Parts: sequence; structure tokens; C-alpha cells
Amino acid sequence: MKRQQIINGVIALVIGVLIFVTPFIFIGLTAVKSAAEASQLGLSWPSEWLFWDNLVAVIQARNYMLLLAYFNSTVITVGAISLLVISAAMIGYVIQRRPSKWNGFIYALILAGLMIPPAVVPTIWLLKELHLFKTLHGMILIQVAYGLSFSVLLFRSFIASIPRDLDEAAIIDGAKPWQVFFKVILPLLKPVTVTVILVQSVTIFNDFTNPLYYLPGKDNVTVQLTLYNFQSQFSSQMNLLFMNILLVTIPPLIMFIFFNKQIVKGMTAGAVKG
Amino acid sequence: MATVRLKNIHKEFNGVKILKGIDLDVNDGEFCVFVGPSGCGKSTLLRIISGLEDATSGTIEIGGKDVTKSDPIDRGIAMVFQSYALYPHLTVRDNIGFGLSLAKRPKNEIRERVDAAAKMLQLESLLDRKPKDLSGGQRQRVAIGRAIVREPEVFLFDEPLSNLDAALRSKMRIELTELHATLNATMIYVTHDQIEAMTMADKIVVLNAGHIEQVGTPMELYHHPQTPFVAGFIGSPKMNLFEGAIAKEHNADLYGIRPEHLTLSPKEGKWKGVVKHIEQLGADAIVHIHVESLGMLVVRVDGDFSITAGSTIYATPQEGKEHLF
Amino acid sequence: MKSSRSYPYWFILPGGLVYLVLFLVPTVAAFWFSLTHWDLFETRFIGLDNYYQFLREPFLITGVVNTVIFGVLTSIAKSVLGLLLAVLLTSGLLGQSFLRTLIFFPVLVSTIGVGIAFAEIMHPARGMLNIGLSYFGIQGPAWLIDPNLALFSVALVDIWKGVGLATLIYIAGLATISSDYYEAARIDGATKLQMFFRITVPLVRPATVTVVTLSLIGGLRSFDIIWAMTKGGPGFSSDVLASVIYKQYQAGFYGLSTAGNIILFALVAFIVIPLTYWFNRREVDL
Ligand SMILES: Nc1ncnc2c1ncn2[C@@H]1O[C@H](COP(=O)(O)OP(=O)(O)O)[C@@H](O)[C@H]1O
Ligand SMILES: [Mg+2]
Repeated sequence: MKRQQIINGVIALVIGVLIFVTPFIFIGLTAVKSAAEASQLGLSWPSEWLFWDNLVAVIQARNYMLLLAYFNSTVITVGAISLLVISAAMIGYVIQRRPSKWNGFIYALILAGLMIPPAVVPTIWLLKELHLFKTLHGMILIQVAYGLSFSVLLFRSFIASIPRDLDEAAIIDGAKPWQVFFKVILPLLKPVTVTVILVQSVTIFNDFTNPLYYLPGKDNVTVQLTLYNFQSQFSSQMNLLFMNILLVTIPPLIMFIFFNKQIVKGMTAGAVKG
Repeated sequence: MATVRLKNIHKEFNGVKILKGIDLDVNDGEFCVFVGPSGCGKSTLLRIISGLEDATSGTIEIGGKDVTKSDPIDRGIAMVFQSYALYPHLTVRDNIGFGLSLAKRPKNEIRERVDAAAKMLQLESLLDRKPKDLSGGQRQRVAIGRAIVREPEVFLFDEPLSNLDAALRSKMRIELTELHATLNATMIYVTHDQIEAMTMADKIVVLNAGHIEQVGTPMELYHHPQTPFVAGFIGSPKMNLFEGAIAKEHNADLYGIRPEHLTLSPKEGKWKGVVKHIEQLGADAIVHIHVESLGMLVVRVDGDFSITAGSTIYATPQEGKEHLF
Repeated sequence: MKSSRSYPYWFILPGGLVYLVLFLVPTVAAFWFSLTHWDLFETRFIGLDNYYQFLREPFLITGVVNTVIFGVLTSIAKSVLGLLLAVLLTSGLLGQSFLRTLIFFPVLVSTIGVGIAFAEIMHPARGMLNIGLSYFGIQGPAWLIDPNLALFSVALVDIWKGVGLATLIYIAGLATISSDYYEAARIDGATKLQMFFRITVPLVRPATVTVVTLSLIGGLRSFDIIWAMTKGGPGFSSDVLASVIYKQYQAGFYGLSTAGNIILFALVAFIVIPLTYWFNRREVDL
């Protein structure tokens, strides 16, 4: 490493930390301050550390709403991802393996899913008709619908790298089509499945807009909605609001620490071939 | 063990005719090799026999039963792929036993049959490994094991040796021949390599551009090729083929003489030419001679035969070894 | 055995059905609903009135204009900064992998959380940002309070949050460029700047396509960040289509809200589809 690179590196590090870390330090410090101190908005060191007090206060707020929210968000995320992985892998498999004159049309539908913003009010109308409005399972299905395109594209391009000979060997061995998929193909999709799980769980857990529209009411509150709800309630208690932000940031932080590489791979997939 | 009978098989892909009426009988217990240049439709024909591909028209009988419309599993066949197609996530044991477990055979029966197949192929010590931890030759054996364990009536092989290096390939040729002798099953083997065809086959089927050129034993094809294509395809180096005056002389369109059926002499002979190039192989040598009246003539001689490039030489075809078309 | 038997279409059914019912049907239905006066009580066909209203009402027009400004601005900024950062962070800098990690992390953090935190950071008097600027003798503006500035302030935060993804996509793209090109150019005597514009920029094009398209689609549809920071205010100065759609929905003007939705599709389609077409047409064959 050359001298110049070291100097440039130090400068870049200082600027980088300043721009990208200070906001998180601000969040962390505010979260442990007293309400009065927090409203100063400064970066000053807290005169007393109220980590536990603030944590307990946030959790107890509105009759333990945050715990319910964590539960709901977990149910939605886990449920949607399980369905998403199986159904997207099956679709990716069939459209990759079975070229037909429909493929252009199917491909257009998939791209539409990536591009078109969902029509919210008609969706609410439909959810009501189906008795899915304001229900967790309705929300799960919505997340499946909205995450399907991205997941199908990832699965499809991975499946293209699995030789067809394997399917045929299994057919010769007497496998039925569903056995070829579940016993031979699906186990081979592990790397791309991990990618889909990571990327989608971050997306679904952090989703705010869709729960805002489709899950109103405090029984079905999700983690992101608590922030929004507390924003008005805690306007004089900045410390609690920021403690909430801190708590909401923890799940992605954990994912990030353990799976940084896979997340990056998933999110940058497609950049290379364009 | 069963016969395979193909009747007037046609195959089109998107209107392109790939197979143009194949009629063929493969006898019970026979080792039958389909040979032909790449792209001539060998794999397609094999896949039609296996049931992976539907014929556009024609019928397939295996063991006297019409299986044209049957699924692969109901045809009593097993197949070994060029890429081996081993299931990467399964151990060698589970790869070999996959078909049996799909057929819901009892666990101990599967274990016994896998063990027996592994023993025959000397795979016992590898049963717990995954395919990625095997060498090319070992993968090849697992692929064969997967076929054997199902005790099929007909084995199908699609260029199974083409991913192996030369030394391993010649070893596997011998092993496959022995396997055939042991199992005494009908085997259909696809290759583009005429050496594999000559060394292993009871019956060779020469395919060219979607039709059968000739069917026969290796020596029948060598001694009595019925078409110029077969004459050129079987035998190495290739047979010398000439049109023009020499063919007219024999009242034919084409005159052929194999390189090993020519005698060279420094003093006298039928054709006078200049040595252009010598490929020395040790045991024998391939000599390329330019003959004024013919063009390039390839001659195989003993490796010790002394000859130098640029010298003048005479070549004479051996009596009765000429081919006319 | 034809592929119809080996790869049956019913495999598409489970996911396809959910997609059809919950995404495609509402999308198509939206065209009809956008032509109606639709509220809690009734649905009545009124033709193109909702659209006329969008063209007439100044606050609705602002929403459309702001959407375009926000989408285009954030997308351009993310691509330019992303490429520069990617080049910097692949140059063998001290601590470059740590820096990559640092700028990527905000991508994973809740948008609402980021928005709420930055709303305080951008507080005109007590906010960290202006206090920081004052150390350099700069009098910081009233970021979110000034109606002329609010949208741009939100865009700045959106760029802060999203530039990490652009950078990583560019880093993946740069990795595909063979170092042979740079060595050949060095032998030809090219300067660093020439190499950047003559080699890096053209050859990293697939990554540019991805970054621009992704951030444009995301930017035009942005809602969370704006809602968390300004709720479209002050007044309607930072309203975008997505926030207008929500406000009209809350107010019970379902037909108008849906018309806004259709205008948003149209906007995304009219910007993104020609752009992708143009990008693909000019694809360099390597
Ligand atoms: N699924 C297919 N679709 C279209 N054309 C095919 C297909 N499979 C094979 N072909 C064509 O059929 C011809 C014969 O192929 P193949 O049987 O694989 O030849 P070989 O095994 O003798 O090399 C080739 O020209 C190939 O391109
Ligand atoms: Mg072939």
C-alpha cells in the first residue's frame, strides 16, 4: 500500500464516518437520554444513562404495543417468505425449463411487478371483498404478490445454471415432475434461497407503506407502524421515539453482521449482465 | 434383457427434420453402438428410445411391447449421461439408490442392491462421498452404478466416456465390455468416436444426417463399407477416396483404398509420387504422398520403414483390397 | 415425454394466483375506478373528471412535478456518487472494505426510522447538521421548513440512504472489467481521467442501467421517506404523487386517489420504458 493511498484512506475514513456513522451515534445517544436532554437534539454525552428506563418505557407504551408489533412483523415476514420461496422457485423453474410462446408475455408480467406501483385503493376494495383486509394472512399474501417478481427472476437465473440432464436423470429414475422439483432441484437452490430470504426479509420487515394501507388499527400494528404511531405520541419524548428507532434497527443490524456477503450478492444480482 | 425394435422413426424440431425414418432391430443381449458425426441425430434417437423425447412418428418396441407412448420409467431402461448427471446434493449411496427409493423399495433391499452394485464397480469405499469429491472416472462409475442397480432390460449410454482423458477412456472401454459380458444385458451406446465403436460393439449402426448408412459388425463395416460415408468414417487414418480417371478405370464413381492396404517401394509401383510429410507414430508411420494423377495419398507403413520427406516413391494397392462405389 | 409433462404449468398456479388476484386485478380495476366518483357511500361513473382535477388543482400538479424532480434527482445523484464511490473504494484504499460496509448499512435500515431521525438532525436551530455547518462558518438553511427547500432536503436523505446500494452495484460492475483494458490504455499513455471516461464509464454501462432504472423506479414511487420527514409539507411543497394518493385516500376521495395511482403508473412507464429501450439500443457489444 502506497503512502498516498494510506493518506487518502484516512481522509476517506474520517469523512465516511462523519457522514454515515454520526446519524447512528445521534440515534443511540438520544435513545439513552432523559426526555429533557433529548429534546436538545445535540450530540452531547448523556448526563445520565437511562438505557433500561427508556427501553422499559417504550416496551410498556400503549399496553405493550411494541411486543405485539414484533410478533406481528415476525409472523408476516416468516409467513410471506416461506410462501414466496416455494412459489417463486416453482415459477422460476417452469419458465426457465419450458420455453414457449407464452414466455414473452409471462416475462412482461414479471417486469410489470417490478415496475408498476400497486393500485392501493382497488387493492383495499378487493381485500375487503375477500375478507382479507386488516388481517395478517391478507398482509402475508400481499407481500407474496409484491415480492414475487424479484424472487422469480433470481430463481430463474440460478436454475438456468443447473443442467437439464439432472432433471432427465431423475425422470429416467422414475421421478414424477413434482419429485424432480422437490427432491432434485429444490435442494440445489440453497444459495439463491438464502439470498431471497435475506433480501425479502429486510424488505418485508422494513415495509411501512403496505401495512399503513392494508393493516390499519392497533391490533395488527407492525414494527414500522409503531414508529409512525409513536411519532405523534412521543413528540415531547424524543428519547423514547429514538429508543424505538434503535430497536427497529436491531434486526437488520443482526442480519447485516451475519449475512453481509449474501445480502450484498442478492441486492447487486443482475448488475453484471444488466 | 430385451430386444429393441424401431420402426420408421421420424423426428422434427420446429419443422426441421432431424431423423428421417429409422428402422432398426437390436437383439437381446447385444452391444449396439450408434456412431456418426456430431449433430447427426444419435442423441435424439437414444432419447426417443429412452422416452425423454417423443418421436414425431414411428413406433418403438422394447421386449416385444409397444412403448411408443410410455413414460421412461415404464420402459425398463436405464441411461448413463455424458455429463453423468449425478445429483450433487446426494451421497454416492443415495445417488445409486435414488430410483429404488422413488419406487418405494424397502430400505434394506435398497441397501443390499446398492452394496452389490458398488461392489461390482469397486465403489464401496466411496459410498458416503458427495459427487464433487470424486474424480471423473469415479463419477463415471457412480453413473453406471445408478443404471445397474435398477436392473434394467436395456442400458442406454450417451457418449459416456467423452469427458475422460485418453488413458482412462481406454480402460473404461474394457471395463464396459466386461460389464456387458457379466450382465449380459442389451446395451445401446452412442458415440462419435469410431474407435469406441470398433472396439466395443457387437453391432455398429452408422448414422449420418438423420438416416442409417449401414448396420453391421465392426469387421463387416471395415471390409465391406456400402457407402462412401461409411468407408470414410470407419478406419483410421481415413480411407483414400478418389474420383476421376482411377474410378473410371474401374467403371465406378469413386475409388477407395485404405492407407494400410498400400505397399511402398523406392523403385517401382503403380503410382509414382513425392513424399510430402511423415507422421511418425513409433510402431507405424503415416506417409502423405503427392501423386500427380490422384492428389494426396495417405499410406500407413511400418515404423521402421526408412523414408525421407521430398524423396520420390512408388505406391501400389494390394490385390482385392480396393473399394468401388 | 414432452416438457408439458415434465414441467407442468400448475407449478405456476400457487404464486401466479396470488399475483393475479392481489396485484394484476387491482391494477386493471384501477383504470375503471379512476373514472368514477368513489367514496365511502357510492361509486358513480364520471369519465375523466378525476384527471381534469389533477390538471387543474395546483396542489395536485405540484405533486406530479415533485415526483419527477424527486425521482430524477435522486436517481442521477445515486448513479454519479455511486460510480465515484465505487471507483474510490476499489482503488486499494486503506480501510476500503470497512467503508463499503459503512455506506451500505443505511440501505438495510428502516426508512421511517431514518426519516424520523433526520427530521431532527435537520432541525433549523438545534439540529446536528446546522450546528456542524456552523463550525465551518456556514449558516445552514431551514431544511425542512423552507418550502423551496423541503423536497430537496428529503431527496438528500434519500440519497444518503440509497447511495450504498448504487455503490455496491457499481463495484460488482467494475469487477467485470478486465484489467487488460487499463494496462493497454496505460501503454497508450492515457491519463487517469481519460481512463475513467474512455474505459470505466462505457464498460460499466450494465451497472449504470441497473442503478438508474432501480433508483428511478424507487424514486418515482417514494412515499415512506417523505411521509416520515415532511408529510408533504410545508403546505404541499414536498408532496409527491404517492403522498397525494395517500392523502386523498384518507380524505375518502377513492376515485381521485386511484386516478393519482394511474398517473403514477403512467409516469413510471413513460419514463422507465423508453429509458430501458434507449439503454438497450445503445448497448455496446463486447
Ligand atoms: N430440443 C431440440 N430442439 C431443437 N433442435 C434440437 C434439439 N435437440 C437436438 N436438436 C438438433 O438436432 C440435431 C441432432 O442433435 P443430436 O441428436 O444431439 O446430435 P448428436 O447426438 O448426433 O450429436 C442437431 O442439429 C441439434 O441441433
Ligand atoms: Mg449427442
